Amino acid sequence: MPPVGIWIDGLIQSCTYMTMAFGMVLVFSILGILNWAHGQFYMLGAFVFYYAVTAAGIPFPVSLLISGVLVGGLGILVEKFIIERVNIPSAQGALYVTVATIALIFFFEGAASMIFGMQDKGLAMVLPGVLDLGSFSVSYQKIAVVIFTLVIMITMYIVLNHTKVGLAIRAAAQEPDAASLHGINVERLSLLVMGIGCALAAMAGSIMAPVFIINPFIGGIPMIMSLLAIVIGGLGSLTGAIVGGLILGFLNSVVAYHLSYFSEVVLFVLVIIILLVRPQGLFGASRK
Amino acid sequence: MRYIDYKTVLPRTVAGVLVFLIVILPVFTTNVITLSVFISSGIWAIAAMGFTLILRTGQFSLGQAAFMAIGGYTSAIFTVNIGWSFWPSFLLAGIVPGIIALIIGSIVLRVGGTYFSIITLALSEVVRIIAQQWESVTRGTRGLITSPPNPIVINGFEINFYASTVPYFYLMVLLVAITAVVFWQIGRSRIGGTFYSIAANPILAEHQGIPLMKYRVIAFTVAGVFTGFAGSLYAHSLTVITPYMLGLWQSIQIMIMSIVGGIGSLAGGPIIGSIVLYTFGIYLSRVEIYGIQQLLFGGVVVLVLLFLPKGTGLIDLWDRFWRKVIWREEEYEPDTPDD
Repeated sequence: MPPVGIWIDGLIQSCTYMTMAFGMVLVFSILGILNWAHGQFYMLGAFVFYYAVTAAGIPFPVSLLISGVLVGGLGILVEKFIIERVNIPSAQGALYVTVATIALIFFFEGAASMIFGMQDKGLAMVLPGVLDLGSFSVSYQKIAVVIFTLVIMITMYIVLNHTKVGLAIRAAAQEPDAASLHGINVERLSLLVMGIGCALAAMAGSIMAPVFIINPFIGGIPMIMSLLAIVIGGLGSLTGAIVGGLILGFLNSVVAYHLSYFSEVVLFVLVIIILLVRPQGLFGASRK
Repeated sequence: MRYIDYKTVLPRTVAGVLVFLIVILPVFTTNVITLSVFISSGIWAIAAMGFTLILRTGQFSLGQAAFMAIGGYTSAIFTVNIGWSFWPSFLLAGIVPGIIALIIGSIVLRVGGTYFSIITLALSEVVRIIAQQWESVTRGTRGLITSPPNPIVINGFEINFYASTVPYFYLMVLLVAITAVVFWQIGRSRIGGTFYSIAANPILAEHQGIPLMKYRVIAFTVAGVFTGFAGSLYAHSLTVITPYMLGLWQSIQIMIMSIVGGIGSLAGGPIIGSIVLYTFGIYLSRVEIYGIQQLLFGGVVVLVLLFLPKGTGLIDLWDRFWRKVIWREEEYEPDTPDD
């Protein structure tokens, strides 16, 4: 059995992957495309949070919201001016969106390294201190990550299931044409959903910033991992994204404890096996 | 008697002259840097052609650099660790990725679509990790130092790969030419049409009695073989192969070269795209500000996607240049139904 610290780290990683994968699946269910630059919104969120806390001196819960709102706005701009125009209604549309969002990865990483610099930045002064629990201890930052993820998940559950917007989102995800016949503006809704998805990624980046370091290239690993989480859970299934994120986070840290670098190989092989047994993912509907 | 349209002959002649000028480039300059830029862009062109072939079947591979890495490592391991000479290892560098593509393709292509992209992406990471961790064979992150092929003497004329980069240049030209001809013929043949029909409407194609899996695996394997050759040439012309040389970013680069060049043609588009984008990247890397390279690279790709007609890329600019600027033709606007 790995020590408790490994399990806690697994939980922390799960939280990131869950939040990221949730945003990606939300965007996928409405727009029908994967946003490959999702990890870069995570990175930008961490940077906005860093400057809000250090340069502007804003208390950290407010900074978290600021980073979510700013980066969410950027996501809306990206959707409005790039994705919507590139996504032509044909078989090639999804392909062009994929290429455009992958090009945005380069764009955002280049912009971030020009504006913010390449040096690693740390935010260890946010929520210092450790909670001592006898045989092991947990830092307050990690507790904050878990609480934040719980709050986000509960909020998203309420928004999706008990509000009009949530109803519209679910309707548009099921049948876009029928939803627009019933007076739902699907285009505006997809802007909103893109904003929410990017804001979730940015807030995940912000809350993880004190635990890890910040540099322009931190977005890649969470993005790949949340992609795999989506594959495990099933493309288009929100429950699947959450469960996939949980599985992947714990597996990643526990397997890495035993196998170090080869853990990623094990993960990828596992994902391939899951795809072979259940091509639509654990929770995916066998649509298409 | 056939009527010869000067409007089709002239652009082709100009394109042919340009290709000829590139082929006889070593006559004008033997500058190592210029030749290396062309060698590398030719190698990327082969990989991009492979990507385009897979894309013809409607699948979207994000792991083409992994096959380059497999090919490069195969020939590097066989020349360095086992002591074979270059040419048999080069041949093997095409066969091994082909077999791996066949095996992986017949497993993974069952799912297809976005899943296929993600799995191939994962594959490229797996290859990188194995290359990095299998220290006894691949020397880990230090990489394998490869040696050029031994000199070949034909009738007293010596082709010496040690002395200059010119032989590599012609090896590249030969490989690009063979790949382009093979892919062009595939595109013209019955198989190419089948690929296209699979991409356009998989369900209809399956009902017509076309086995989807078979043709997808064929495309993936053929692309794997040629990409493996490209990887071997890459490793030997750079004299080193390390795990980070051919990773996820290189796969993405291959994809972007293919799309920006134009996926409408199997050979021309990827070649133009890789030459333009690789040269562009090389010139950008001379700028001192760090990050401007990625910024402009990403920006240019997004602009190309936004403003060029969809489905065409740079290769369409050539046609449009002749039609609009030289012949001043009126654009034919098909009637578009209102929304």
